Amino acid sequence: MASATDSRYGQKESSDQNFDYMFKILIIGNSSVGKTSFLFRYADDSFTPAFVSTVGIDFKVKTIYRNDKRIKLQIWDTAGQERYRTITTAYYRGAMGFILMYDITNEESFNAVQDWSTQIKTYSWDNAQVLLVGNKCDMEDERVVSSERGRQLADHLGFEFFEASAKDNINVKQTFERLVDVICEKMSESLDTADPAVTGAKQGPQLSDQQVPPHQDCAC
Amino acid sequence: MASAPAEAETRQRLLRTVKKEVKQIMEEAVTRKFVHEDSSHIISFCAAVEACVLHGLRRRAAGFLRSNKIAALFMKVGKNFPPAEDLSRKVQDLEQLIESARNQIQGLQENVRKLPKLPNLSPLAIKHLWIRTALFEKVLDKIVHYLVENSSKYYEKEALLMDPVDGPILASLLVGPCALEYTKMKTADHFWTDPSADELVQRHRIHSSHVRQDSPTKRPALCIQKRHSSGSMDDRPSLSARDYVESLHQNSRATLLYGKNNVLVQPRDDMEAVPGYLSLHQTADVMTLKWTPNQLMNGSVGDLDYEKSVYWDYAMTIRLEEIVYLHCHQQVDSGGTVVLVSQDGIQRPPFRFPKGGHLLQFLSCLENGLLPHGQLDPPLWSQRGKGKVFPKLRKRSPQGSAESTSSDKDDDEATDYVFRIIYPGMQSEFVAPDFLGSTSSVSVGPAWMMVPAGRSMLVVARGSQWEPARWDTTLPTPSPKEQPPMPQDLMDVSVSNLPSLWQPSPRKSSCSSCSQSGSADGSSTNGCNHERAPLKLLCDNMKYQILSRAFYGWLAYCRHLSTVRTHLSALVNHMIVSPDLPCDAGQGLTARIWEQYLHDSTSYEEQELLRLIYYGGIQPEIRKAVWPFLLGHYQFGMTETERKEVDEQIHACYAQTMAEWLGCEAIVRQRERESHAAALAKCSSGASLDSHLHRMLHRDSTISNESSQSCSSGRQNIRLHSDSSSSTQVFESVDEVEQVEAEGRLEEKQPKIPNGNLVNGTCSPDSGHPSSHNFSSGLSEHSEPSLSTEDSVLDAQRNTPTVLRPRDGSVDDRQSSEATTSQDEAPREELAVQDSLESDLLANESMDEFMSITGSLDMALPEKDDVVMEGWRSSETEKHGQADSEDNLSEEPEMESLFPALASLAVTTSANEVSPVSSSGVTYSPELLDLYTVNLHRIEKDVQRCDRNYWYFTPANLEKLRNIMCSYIWQHIEIGYVQGMCDLLAPLLVILDDEALAFSCFTELMKRMNQNFPHGGAMDTHFANMRSLIQILDSELFELMHQNGDYTHFYFCYRWFLLDFKRELVYDDVFLVWETIWAAKHVSSAHYVLFIALALVEVYRDIILENNMDFTDIIKFFNEMAERHNTKQVLKLARDLVYKVQTLIENK
Repeated sequence: MASATDSRYGQKESSDQNFDYMFKILIIGNSSVGKTSFLFRYADDSFTPAFVSTVGIDFKVKTIYRNDKRIKLQIWDTAGQERYRTITTAYYRGAMGFILMYDITNEESFNAVQDWSTQIKTYSWDNAQVLLVGNKCDMEDERVVSSERGRQLADHLGFEFFEASAKDNINVKQTFERLVDVICEKMSESLDTADPAVTGAKQGPQLSDQQVPPHQDCAC
Repeated sequence: MASAPAEAETRQRLLRTVKKEVKQIMEEAVTRKFVHEDSSHIISFCAAVEACVLHGLRRRAAGFLRSNKIAALFMKVGKNFPPAEDLSRKVQDLEQLIESARNQIQGLQENVRKLPKLPNLSPLAIKHLWIRTALFEKVLDKIVHYLVENSSKYYEKEALLMDPVDGPILASLLVGPCALEYTKMKTADHFWTDPSADELVQRHRIHSSHVRQDSPTKRPALCIQKRHSSGSMDDRPSLSARDYVESLHQNSRATLLYGKNNVLVQPRDDMEAVPGYLSLHQTADVMTLKWTPNQLMNGSVGDLDYEKSVYWDYAMTIRLEEIVYLHCHQQVDSGGTVVLVSQDGIQRPPFRFPKGGHLLQFLSCLENGLLPHGQLDPPLWSQRGKGKVFPKLRKRSPQGSAESTSSDKDDDEATDYVFRIIYPGMQSEFVAPDFLGSTSSVSVGPAWMMVPAGRSMLVVARGSQWEPARWDTTLPTPSPKEQPPMPQDLMDVSVSNLPSLWQPSPRKSSCSSCSQSGSADGSSTNGCNHERAPLKLLCDNMKYQILSRAFYGWLAYCRHLSTVRTHLSALVNHMIVSPDLPCDAGQGLTARIWEQYLHDSTSYEEQELLRLIYYGGIQPEIRKAVWPFLLGHYQFGMTETERKEVDEQIHACYAQTMAEWLGCEAIVRQRERESHAAALAKCSSGASLDSHLHRMLHRDSTISNESSQSCSSGRQNIRLHSDSSSSTQVFESVDEVEQVEAEGRLEEKQPKIPNGNLVNGTCSPDSGHPSSHNFSSGLSEHSEPSLSTEDSVLDAQRNTPTVLRPRDGSVDDRQSSEATTSQDEAPREELAVQDSLESDLLANESMDEFMSITGSLDMALPEKDDVVMEGWRSSETEKHGQADSEDNLSEEPEMESLFPALASLAVTTSANEVSPVSSSGVTYSPELLDLYTVNLHRIEKDVQRCDRNYWYFTPANLEKLRNIMCSYIWQHIEIGYVQGMCDLLAPLLVILDDEALAFSCFTELMKRMNQNFPHGGAMDTHFANMRSLIQILDSELFELMHQNGDYTHFYFCYRWFLLDFKRELVYDDVFLVWETIWAAKHVSSAHYVLFIALALVEVYRDIILENNMDFTDIIKFFNEMAERHNTKQVLKLARDLVYKVQTLIENK
């Protein structure tokens, strides 16, 4: 199984489209904190200020390569407004990682982090890994949430913390990579105690849930 | 010059290379279903072809000075041969592009779309640009063919293309690769990522470019399908030609057991035998024998005729499980002949194998393939050194079975054999031919087989050994429990099987020995010495079978129709409106017709106008004029003055609403500036999280720390006091308690606000801006637990609807009848009984309230009035009730009951310091302010990012958008702004370009659309309806969806329904689709959106099926396809689907 140490990422030419693991990742947070931009930056390396609000749900796929394993990330972008909660929470099931995002220029979005984290605890699976991300860190002039506070809150909630900017492409890739790392770590922990047969390369999304036994104790 | 043998050797080498490359490309095409343009095989293929074409080229033909000989040659050919001329032009364009790309690497992005290829070719690709392009353009084979035919003009005599054998071989080798299509993936990491929607559509186009009329796409779901069980060529129409040829190769689904070319078959009596490719395939459960005429195999018929080629009719696909006997005849002069006889006695045309033991090989492969369940009887013998050989049998087999006797002559060397295919594992389930008695067991297959008399009964009897097992699976008997699910299947099978069962042997048997036995009256002279069957009994049985099947078919159909009627009849209007009567509506509503109508409103019926719109849309210029009618802002038939009146009313209403929320907004802005400044200050000072949060929360709730603390202590005191003593307590600080009162009221409202926030706030991250809701959640975590918990107790109790409701009523009564004390007392007492703690507080609060609330304020929200609260709380309230009553008169009962929370939003407290007063002198309750602030923020976020790329949305027009949205939300603050509403307003504003008009139309539109938002319940209904529709109209797709589980949620159409496809289409198409939806309500279906959704699914159904998409794939696919649909096609399909459902219901 892959170790959790820092490893080389990159893409390797291969002739088959299969993958070894699939991680389902959700990006959540208040509306207009930049979830969609963040996703586009990561998946397509593009940014446009003209994004429209997400209604319902969307997702993108990105496959990365690490530790000789192809990992397919299925990244879901959710609607931020709480009216869509009933729909978006349905997608929490089976998610292995969350990027909980707030906007450093928006106090309210930061204040809501606690509640989002409660949502995760309520609707997702215990082992789901969460990263707290303060987006729009390029807008230093309009900052109302200091890094310090973000870090404090992340510590308090037991999440890792990043400040990022989808616009200036700061920390976007790092955030996802870290999340993948954390998930892999968690997975190897789980797998150490689990049937080694499960560690074999699996294909197909339907198997991804089984890769980590669902009844592990949550470490966070 | 080299010697002739050396030249021949070179030619062979060249040809071999090409062969190898062709093979590789074809292999890639088969295994991966597509070939990438940048595949290395293509590059090496091009090199190989180039070498051949240049071999022995005359200098003159190549041009002396040209560096690119291929270019020179092709251009020369182009002078006489049009395809080459086309090609030359294309390649030269491409070359120019590459050239300019070199000069200027940027700026080519626009061209990319229009050109077939991206100009960023690899150097290797550029080297073979001509061959490569010819290949992609599918003219390479033609050009080479031309070169071969005119080789003397271009080539030296030793050239490969001059060779009478090798030249044509090369040309025909190239046919294969030229028939393929090549794709270009967008990204370099195409092996990694899933194919984009674009790519899928492209592949599908490639794939199905030959799709015939009767492909599954066009298959009407309910019509009777021909599914012959014994027909030999019926698999073919369901596959595209390409698929078919591909299916002949070894692939992932089927193992190729045997393949032999040049097997002769005489397809028709009047024809010569045709050579073809015989192949034996094994999949998980069936073995199939296919024979394909050579004409189809190498596609020499020509592209256009290929699909229509008569040879398709000759191709055969035989399922081996249908075959009972193999008659083998070995002739001295030719290789051998096999005749297959199926269980129904039909003989297939004989396959004539070439000389050289191919027949035996075939049998041996077949025997291996049959294992483990089946075997040949008699089995082939294994002979050391020779492998399998024909069994050496004499007249009688050891088992004494007549069939296994392999010879009908007493030769020592048997040359004719009859093999039976048996499945020893299958137990005989033969049902006695008592068909009158067997009501439901339609599965007794053997009885109705038309067999040449001679062998009939025996065949029947033997066949039945394994047959029932098969029939049971293919023929669902209409047992009661499986009535509704898939009735059409049942019906299709039961009805469509009949013809094939009836048909007597379609061809004259050409197997000499058997035809004798077949045509003879049974007392055969050869080895097939069967018993004679009473033919009449057989016919009778057959008749009963047919009747019973027809009956069940009919029954199933009726049941299915009744299901359809129950589920679908509500979805469409039953009146079918024709697109052609009274006139063709394809042109839509034109300006001329509209003008005429406005001039004289009797000239066209409303229905007729709607029909025109439904079938043809509205001419863009008059949309602005027609839309208000369609949306119900105007009624059809209104005179101009009436319309003016409506407009004036709307304008007045709009202006009024604007004034109201603008006032509110001013205050909100003021508040925000303060809090923002504080936040910035806080941020810079770096204060600790907790204290900051704490402070913010208090600020948000517009209550100072001091006052809330004091009041909480006050309340704690109250707890300890009795009713009477509480009144003295209260007067300690009137102002403060008033604030608490406001806050308490707010909190008791909170749960009822339809967005579902809970008071404790733990699950509402986005509840938004400064609200007392935050306040309470904050408190519960921080320093003042007493206050917040007490409040929630209060909430819970006060909000018990059963308690509130009657009270509301009584308050209304009282107020309308000028408030009598006695009526007030009643609810008051009711409360008091309820809970002593609560009543303590109530008494307490009501005192304050009535101290503070003196003047009433007409807070101008038509449907909101205050005061239920004040009303029932104030026990001694003559003065007070009077004040309130004015507002209560305008109360709308149903709004009140739906949203009781509204009642107190407009508080009438001029004396209240907390409630801010706007410049117009109107005051707003803090709750309303909070609520409005939250919504204002949401609106602004969405307005800012609403279609900024569309020309219309300049800052000025965005401002209009915002104004309209704010006005609408102000009037519907109980619903509040939900993301997506802006999308619905935007197209209206673009067309109408008038704030008040757009406001009115939007209000009308939202009457329907509101239900789709999360607070309405329509979405689930849509999904359920979609499910039913797909189930009935496209069962194949439905099965896929079922099989892929989660699908049933139909979330992939969530956005479609939510926004009426606004995000799926470009603006111009949105206009068209929307007006069609509006018109459809009166023309065809009030649920027309369903049919558009269904049409969208159906347009891509083949892609969905081909790629076996699951729920996530399909979400991704449609998200990527947004704004790229062919709207005209979708709308037409949607109309057709409506029509289909209508006719289904009508049962015509």
